[in-house]
Amino acid sequence: MRWHKRLLVAGLTGVLALTAAACAGGQVRGAGGTPEPAKSSGPAAAQTAKANDSTFVYVPNLDVVTDWDPATSYSNEIVALSNIYEGLTRYNFQSREAEPRLATEWSSAEGGKEWTFKLRQGVKFHSGATLDAEAAKKAIERTIEKKGGAAYIWDSVDKIEAVDASTLKFTLKHATPLDLVASSGYAAYIYDVDAVDADGRTTAGTGPYTIDSWQKGKETELTLKAFEDYWGGWTPEQYKKVAFRVTPETTTAWQLLQKGEVNFIQRLNPQLFEQAGMTDNVQTARSPSFQNLLVLFNTAAGPTKDIRVRQALQLAIDYDGLAAAVKGAGLKASGLVPEGLLGHVNGMEPEHDPARAQELLAEAGYGPDHAELKLSLTYAQGDEDQKMLVTLLSSALKKLNITLQAKPMTWSAQWDLGKKQGQDIFVMYWYPDYPDAYSWFLNVFKSEDEPRFNLSYLKDREIDAAIEKLPELMATDALKAEDAFEELQKKIIQERAAVAVPYVQTYQRALTADVKGYVDNPAYPNVVFFYDLERAR
Amino acid sequence: MLRYLARRLGQALLVVAGVVVLTFAVMRLVPGDPAVAFAGPKATPEELAAARERFGLDDPLPAQLVAYVRDLFTGDWGVSLRTRQPVREDLYLAFPASIELVGAALLIAVMVGIPVGVLAARYKTKFPDFGVRFGSMLAVSVPVFWLALALQLIFAGKLDWFPVAGEYDSSLDTTSPLTLWTNITVVDALITGNWPIFTSTLHHLALPALVVAAYPTGVIAQMTRATLIEESGQDHARLERALGFGETSILTKFALRPALSPVLSLIALVFAYSLVNGFLVEAIFNWPGLGRYAAESIRSRDTPAIAGVTLLVALVYVLANLVVDVLQGFLDPRARTR
Repeated sequence: MRWHKRLLVAGLTGVLALTAAACAGGQVRGAGGTPEPAKSSGPAAAQTAKANDSTFVYVPNLDVVTDWDPATSYSNEIVALSNIYEGLTRYNFQSREAEPRLATEWSSAEGGKEWTFKLRQGVKFHSGATLDAEAAKKAIERTIEKKGGAAYIWDSVDKIEAVDASTLKFTLKHATPLDLVASSGYAAYIYDVDAVDADGRTTAGTGPYTIDSWQKGKETELTLKAFEDYWGGWTPEQYKKVAFRVTPETTTAWQLLQKGEVNFIQRLNPQLFEQAGMTDNVQTARSPSFQNLLVLFNTAAGPTKDIRVRQALQLAIDYDGLAAAVKGAGLKASGLVPEGLLGHVNGMEPEHDPARAQELLAEAGYGPDHAELKLSLTYAQGDEDQKMLVTLLSSALKKLNITLQAKPMTWSAQWDLGKKQGQDIFVMYWYPDYPDAYSWFLNVFKSEDEPRFNLSYLKDREIDAAIEKLPELMATDALKAEDAFEELQKKIIQERAAVAVPYVQTYQRALTADVKGYVDNPAYPNVVFFYDLERAR
Repeated sequence: MLRYLARRLGQALLVVAGVVVLTFAVMRLVPGDPAVAFAGPKATPEELAAARERFGLDDPLPAQLVAYVRDLFTGDWGVSLRTRQPVREDLYLAFPASIELVGAALLIAVMVGIPVGVLAARYKTKFPDFGVRFGSMLAVSVPVFWLALALQLIFAGKLDWFPVAGEYDSSLDTTSPLTLWTNITVVDALITGNWPIFTSTLHHLALPALVVAAYPTGVIAQMTRATLIEESGQDHARLERALGFGETSILTKFALRPALSPVLSLIALVFAYSLVNGFLVEAIFNWPGLGRYAAESIRSRDTPAIAGVTLLVALVYVLANLVVDVLQGFLDPRARTR
């Protein structure tokens, strides 16, 4: 054989092998999607169809769905599932209260230990079944039994009863604000337990959208379509189709938005966000989240055991400088509880006072005229905003003769070390799973023998007792609860100086200008409620 | 030939074994508990214990290595911490898209690089040669992410000739759904005669393929030029000249064949290299391939997925080398005895 013939044979063999190896063969891509023939007759019909059929395209930067089960879902898929499933209530961050969703009204009795919810009438699941108290009971019970994701939010539930078709009664082991629990973005969905499909072919919710197609690993990973029998009904201006186009590169996402190929970018970097603000056909939205940065000082051992050192550290942080340096990615915090949650206190902004810090350090035997102090700090690897905090703090402390030994770590490594009290300062973000400030106090500041998230290792009986009283107050007397939250924050931040709270993270979104009605609800991180949007014509 | 093949195969297996041990070591030596990565940032002690139990993380390291190798052999490449799917299934979805991109890029590289190399050799030290040498040097040395961003900004953003990102227009999934055979979109569209998806994919493929093609085009052109010049100084070329053949026919008719042997091995090696080089390009153009998968896995510290990608790429490298050896033995019998 001549050499090029041999090459040809080799090439052909390769192609044949490739074809033969593809034994999966013959599947149609986008299994959930049903092919639709082009339907239009006349220009008028085509135009109406266009207005109704406009697709809203959401750009996430990571995979959309990792878990389709509404009971155990606890990840990015919240952006999709919140439009497919609904809970009994939904949180309103402006009124700081739960609002009706599948429940139209509710009441509590027995000091917050008994809750009765009245269910909305005429609600259908995507499966065709009708929502009643029995179905809702089954859904919550299944979620509790599965013990996955955020199922712990129902921990206080002792018994659920379907009193009649539209009345759901909860008996609790201890007082809990169950209307807030029921508004959680995770583990609070009401679904048809017989229709759950872990592979995402069908959905079992009551929400305005249902699955159209899901193609894992593809660029357009997920598309949703309107659920025609949605209890809220539909108007022509609403988006009846939604697509999720996974775009890891922010610059690419920005190009797509400028061209109008996508409608919403989850997060832009500060430079692009600024540019977006000056671009035609693009609108921007900046809003505070429920996630704040905690700088936790080791109260149990090491130099920071001395409260004067901790107070000096609080005063050494340049809070305004930091907020400016992260360029709008964070907003200076006031207290431990972010705005929009019951328990947020105005006027608790931290102070930057290096002179006072130096005095306190001198009292404790440190500072410029004394021996050098070395402090170890751990923070999240790859987080530019935390890195900025560390940079600013190091240079501020250098002047006070303190050397900050800062180590960027993966969460699992940082957490492992933290559980062993291995550092003086622990930097982390905290966010609640349901819109309740209790999460910060219970998880981060209540005494623990084996530290989990109490990484300042604070042990204070008085604080513990006050934390234990919170749920009942939340469930029965909001005003008293507010006072209790304020008192606790003063104790933890001012009296015990266990933590510094530099800023609350803010979301920086960009949308095409034709989208109307977008509101960022921090209780549901990164979620867009597509049903609430309209397309301007 | 068989003995030669067996020897090469044995060497390849040794390399793969080394890679397996190394990836395992790296996976276990990075600080932090893999169980936390799986069970979530707010995992309870019980959930952590369950995850540890599930992945055998409490066993001694050698026992874990044995289990890891055993699982690899039975086709279990672990479960991705991020997608929660078996890594092998994830790779099966991502790999064909990468093959599509790199394949297209190499096609461009061969179709441009070899003729351009011939051109440079024909006009050695004249203007075309300088042009080709300068161009190929540029193509080899320009950072691939820069080229990707620049082309995207100019040809997609400003001029609007090509789409910004993606593999094909996803709305075609409803109007003309694609039947999958090889999972390589462009091939499947061609086999099944799905022209809308075929043309859309080619349109989307153009920019990223050009970017990935830059480096291989450059090296192929340089290599073709160098080997051709060497060949045209050989005795047979002098004879051909004496017989009255023109310079162009000597290069294309006589010198090209022996000169292509090293170019061929270069192509195979460059294929494996481009696969990794394409990672950044995939991320920028939203290409749903291995590179994007790797980038996302690295960002979310998904060690089983990273190990899976590493192993797959290592296998491709080893396989590419093996193919080179076999092809060379096939084309040039002298190679078998080396």
